[in-house]
Amino acid sequence: MMGARLLLAGGLALSLIAPMTAQAAQKHKIFLSMSYIGNDWQAEAANMVKAMASHKSLADKVSLEVQVAGPNAQRQIQQLNAMVQAGAEAIVVYPISPTALNQVVKNACDKGVKIFAYDAEITEPCAYNIHIDQEEAGRKTAEWLVDKLGSKGGNIVVITGVPGTSVDTLRTKAAKEVFAKHPNIKIVAEAVGMWSQAVARTELSKILATQSWDHIDGLWMQVGCYTANAMQLEAGKKPNQLIPCAGEGSNGGRIQMLPLGTEVEGAASPYAPLGASRISYASPPYSGALALKLAVEALEGKDVAKTTILPLPLVTNDTIKLCQEGTWEEMKAGCNAFKPSIVPNPGWFASIFSEQTPEVGLEAALVGQPEK
Amino acid sequence: MSVSAALRSEAGGRRRPGFGILFARHRGLITAAIVFVLLFIVVNAISAGHLSYFDFSFMASGGATLALAAVGETIVILTGGFDLSAGAVISLVNVVLASSMDPTAPHASVVLWTLAGIGVGMATGAFNGVFIAFLRLQPIVVTLSTMFILQGVTLLVMEKPGGFVNADLGGFYLGDAVPGRLPMPVLLLVCVGLLWLYLKSTRFGAALYAIGSDDDAARSAGVRVALTRLLAYIVAGGCYGLAGVFISAQTGSGDPLVGNPLLLSIFAAVVLGGTRLGGGRGGPVGSMIGAYILMSVVNVLLVLNVSAYYSTIAEGVILLLAVLAASISADSDLAKQIRFAALRFAAWRAGALPRQIGGGDRRLRREPPARGGARAAAPPFWIRNREALRYALPAYVLFVLVVIATELWLGNAAFHWGYWNSLIVLSSFLAILALGQGAVILTGGLDLSVPWTVGLSGILLAGIVQGSDQALLYALPIVIAIALVVGFVNGVGVVALGVSPIVMTLATNGILQGAALLYSNGTPAGFSSPWLRWFMTGKILDATPVVFFVMAFVIVAVTLLARTPFGRRIYAVGNGARAAKLSGVPVGRTLIGVYMLSSLCAGLVGVLLTGFSGQASLGMGDEYLLPSIAVVVVGGAIITGGRGHYLGMLGGVLLLTALQTMLAGSNLPYATRAILYGLVVLGAVVALREERD
Repeated sequence: MMGARLLLAGGLALSLIAPMTAQAAQKHKIFLSMSYIGNDWQAEAANMVKAMASHKSLADKVSLEVQVAGPNAQRQIQQLNAMVQAGAEAIVVYPISPTALNQVVKNACDKGVKIFAYDAEITEPCAYNIHIDQEEAGRKTAEWLVDKLGSKGGNIVVITGVPGTSVDTLRTKAAKEVFAKHPNIKIVAEAVGMWSQAVARTELSKILATQSWDHIDGLWMQVGCYTANAMQLEAGKKPNQLIPCAGEGSNGGRIQMLPLGTEVEGAASPYAPLGASRISYASPPYSGALALKLAVEALEGKDVAKTTILPLPLVTNDTIKLCQEGTWEEMKAGCNAFKPSIVPNPGWFASIFSEQTPEVGLEAALVGQPEK
Repeated sequence: MSVSAALRSEAGGRRRPGFGILFARHRGLITAAIVFVLLFIVVNAISAGHLSYFDFSFMASGGATLALAAVGETIVILTGGFDLSAGAVISLVNVVLASSMDPTAPHASVVLWTLAGIGVGMATGAFNGVFIAFLRLQPIVVTLSTMFILQGVTLLVMEKPGGFVNADLGGFYLGDAVPGRLPMPVLLLVCVGLLWLYLKSTRFGAALYAIGSDDDAARSAGVRVALTRLLAYIVAGGCYGLAGVFISAQTGSGDPLVGNPLLLSIFAAVVLGGTRLGGGRGGPVGSMIGAYILMSVVNVLLVLNVSAYYSTIAEGVILLLAVLAASISADSDLAKQIRFAALRFAAWRAGALPRQIGGGDRRLRREPPARGGARAAAPPFWIRNREALRYALPAYVLFVLVVIATELWLGNAAFHWGYWNSLIVLSSFLAILALGQGAVILTGGLDLSVPWTVGLSGILLAGIVQGSDQALLYALPIVIAIALVVGFVNGVGVVALGVSPIVMTLATNGILQGAALLYSNGTPAGFSSPWLRWFMTGKILDATPVVFFVMAFVIVAVTLLARTPFGRRIYAVGNGARAAKLSGVPVGRTLIGVYMLSSLCAGLVGVLLTGFSGQASLGMGDEYLLPSIAVVVVGGAIITGGRGHYLGMLGGVLLLTALQTMLAGSNLPYATRAILYGLVVLGAVVALREERD
């Protein structure tokens, strides 16, 4: 296409100025390819990956570079190619599409690069996948809601995630199968929530334009219970009148689950203990950090399973417990909600504990600092 | 001044006829090519090893989908059109292929499936083309409706990623044309390029440029405008179809969302390639290079290890620089501004207006109006406002129909105050954005920086306020001031640098996104104060306080556009910037004012959304960009500027909000809702269609 010799000459001249990374040679060169950076979950997951990479057990072994692909699968394909070109040994990736990356992932595997997908799945068999069972998430939460509503049943509102994604389709389908088995449960409205508290509020407001809280007995939301509880309070309900909500693992929602009147530093309604009837689940944001840890293990020659199904982090009113500091040790002892004075953002995802990642705690998720 | 400049450049052209004219005509293309080669050298230089044929082949296939789609978009833009359905067509073709191929068959015919993909694309193009060419509807809103409809159809074909595309397709499109020398994607693009050169040499090619430059002139010259336009959309659809085939080959499977996010990149590629939005100048070859420039930027950012937070900023800056580089010449707006600045400075020192330098009073002599003569009776209201009424009415009629449908279907609507209250609260965001976006569109521009102006404003406000009402008192002015600065930068970019509004605001949007990420460090903290929350969710006499605000806002907006000198100048600029300038309208100042108004509105929406949600989130403005454009057009404004009324836009806001409210209250699957939404928007604009004059 163009004068190859000219290019080579220019390249040689410029390569003298290019930075030489000699000491990086001993470290494993690992890349992180993230999706859209513009939401809490992604930022938290990225922080935890960075914290993991800088933990003393890995800091000497790993040189991590982070790239963002945006919402664009085409671009992630190109980014993965570029990472392979740049000499990656392993790539930790939040896959924008479970299928669109298959070819490029296969190419990377053929070149000996190890691909670790977190949170969502890559269907190409050579990739390592680390995620929760989405069908289980949909089923368990729906069963909880059916149980709460009892033999009487009732009207429920369903708020789904991003249409056209596997995660949303699997969760929603599994939940609806449960609801279909109980004819006294009636879905009176269904809206697309895009996994965002802000969208959940807009959609619920639209639904409430023609419905009233008095005729809704339960909520199944992939994200939005925190907002739904806030809206019920605004509509004049008392905390003990909040309807059961099966939904996300946001810290705001977790704090609302604490018994009414619990003293919590920094709490202000609606980000306050309400004794709200809830089941809280999430795709845990530590999955990226775990993927990185497993990637290093794989590079060191250890056996790593191709698929790691993470335990579904379910929290109900019976198991909710406030953390004081948020260290990994403390979370291991069973706490699962954080003080608003430490986590000012109620939409922040609280499911950050894993038996397998003692390197990262609350500081990791908040600011990317590993545990000591 | 400009006449002498024109004479000078003409004289220059005469001295060196061949090269000068050739360069002038293809400046955009040539600059794009130079930028690409430079970027390529940079990538090559800073990469660890030198790029092998294998890397080269990877890069070629990486940008091919975007390049093919950009070719189609360019052909539409050359005719003066606009196509928002490109990404949706790519997704549709992808799922159609992935769901209809037999996974058990060992081989698949490349020719057959390629033709199938192109055929699907052409069919969607024909759908767009019929509405645009024969019903004379505005391209932006027809293709927006098509986009929604196609997204729905795509989800009906395949509800989640899956399916199978035969490896033969991948082997063909990603393989080598000449092993070790020429990758197939390059050959494919060369073939498309040659096909275009052939098309360009035909009557159809000449007609494309002719109707893009001036469709009335083209019609007078005997060009069949409608047919050419229809064909342009069909050819473009075929290109998107081919892009869809390519991405299917590349990914080996289907994903209903794969093409949608490509849309903004497609526009960026077209603009980088030197094609002028509005039509008549440029060409697909430049757009292909533009696509590869965008792709190389990703590689450069990767190799330089630019922090993720800065990547959107870097992209925005590169986009701006590339477009500015392409426009450097003696008669570019920037050069003009610099020359005029010198002149203005001289005039200012002499205490005169620029045009008074070196000459006496050139004002026209005007007879004073005769006193006491019979004043012509003002025509009645409905005749004076006939045009505004005609264009505003369809939105309101459809709005009433939607409300009736909601009442019949869901109940609790038309006769319940609660419904109306919710409707107005939900409409408030778009109603405010409609004024800003509407004013920009009235001048013939477009503001794509709305999403992150909303986002950054909300995040800043929540961050400063931290739940305190006292803090709100100073946070609000700070946020509004920052929004005004954003608008000012947009306006200066458009006026002084001569960058097209789409590029300028797209670049600003990326920079604002980076700023929001840096400020919030990825997780926005803070929440709205009790007072602001009450304003959006509380009650005065059964009505949410913001309802009263919306009413006051509507009055201010109508007055601003219809009754103030600023409003009249907006219409004057939109009807013809040059005519406005010669009539003494300060065009530059008006444009800057319009962009500041738009950012002010976006900033306000950021504040209100934060109050509504209780906190701010990243990306909270994303879902308001396309609706903000749609409501303006559905309300009877014309995208090329000069026509439209705020009350019409308000009708568009009410229509779309009522429609979404009805769909949200229903149990319909999302795919069906998307299709219905698209059909109603399309129906609204069919009623707005231009009459042939």
